[in-house]
Amino acid sequence: MPRLNGRFAAVGVVGALLAGATLAASLSGADAAKARMGHMKALGAAAKALGDQIKSGAPDKAIVKAEAAKIAAAAQAIPTWFPPGSGPESGAKTQARPIVWTDPADFTARRDKLAAAVATLNTAAAAGDMAGVTVAFHPTLAACKGCHDKFKAPDKI
Amino acid sequence: MGQSPSGDLTGPRVRVWDLPTRLVHWSIAALVPFSWWSAHAGHLPWHRLSGYTILGLVVFRLIWGVAGSSSARFTRFLRGPASVIAYVRGGGERLMGHNPLGGWSVAAMLGALLLQIGLGLFCVDEDGFEGGPLSKFLDFDTARAVAKIHHLTFYLLLALIVLHMGAIAFHGLRGRNLTGPMITGEAPAAPSGPAPRIAPAWRIAPAALAAAALAWLVAHGLRW
Repeated sequence: MPRLNGRFAAVGVVGALLAGATLAASLSGADAAKARMGHMKALGAAAKALGDQIKSGAPDKAIVKAEAAKIAAAAQAIPTWFPPGSGPESGAKTQARPIVWTDPADFTARRDKLAAAVATLNTAAAAGDMAGVTVAFHPTLAACKGCHDKFKAPDKI
Repeated sequence: MGQSPSGDLTGPRVRVWDLPTRLVHWSIAALVPFSWWSAHAGHLPWHRLSGYTILGLVVFRLIWGVAGSSSARFTRFLRGPASVIAYVRGGGERLMGHNPLGGWSVAAMLGALLLQIGLGLFCVDEDGFEGGPLSKFLDFDTARAVAKIHHLTFYLLLALIVLHMGAIAFHGLRGRNLTGPMITGEAPAAPSGPAPRIAPAWRIAPAALAAAALAWLVAHGLRW
């Protein structure tokens, strides 16, 4: 009888450890998801600020430079925003689709498209070249959409 | 003049709805579904164009509601609570044009359209670019919140439209065809009161011009 109790105890402890580890992993996955949403909102705000400048017809060069730099920095950081376990399975209310992690090759390819487009944009912005910024803005925007179309679930309204 | 079983009058027909009122009605009826579809299909430039057009039509209707034919005028068909209750109870006077309940439903639909368009002007999409011409006045988070409300208020508009079509069907089942008159402009004369006074045609142009100018100004972000 004592040996039976011991075995149950061992299974119980291992089970608790596993559950705890999974919980901890999914908690940090949920944290990562929340942080990502904050990053994406900031990215959207930068895109809007930049777009509003371009649409105004008389863009403020300092604002354009600052916002373009933000988007360029974000494009570099994007891969770090999607650690494994930060998808819907984390329990967080995220619109990231599981396919982000099941099709990493395409995810990387689309992210690279953004990085390339925004590099051109950022160079033009840093040089105060508003014509170049205007030309580079739309491929940048298209790259945002390019990822979202496949990897982001639409807003539930 | 005889009376049909439903109590409707047969006999001489009069012009109840003028051409501008009918054109505005059917244009809005076509553009609202188009606005819905264009947004859902991701054709945001068409969605905006549709919205600006509806704005022009609604503004024209508001002007016409003051300066147009008597059947189009708000003072004619917006009645107080007593009239509405009397109509619902069945004893209301038979007017040509909007009945007291229908009159308020028109006001509600025009209001809902203005609300929907008003909110749409300030929206921005998730990528921060596609949006209304006045979204530049708001920050990203606020404009996103407006976009969510714009999606929700559509259901208010939809509910009013469904009620409206239900009412038309209800009258149709009781032998009163209301769709025909909104197409042809003509309906049987009613016992109470004279036929509506049709506004002179020259008023259409200045009203349409004013409405179009306002819609254009809004579309250009209030810059000219």
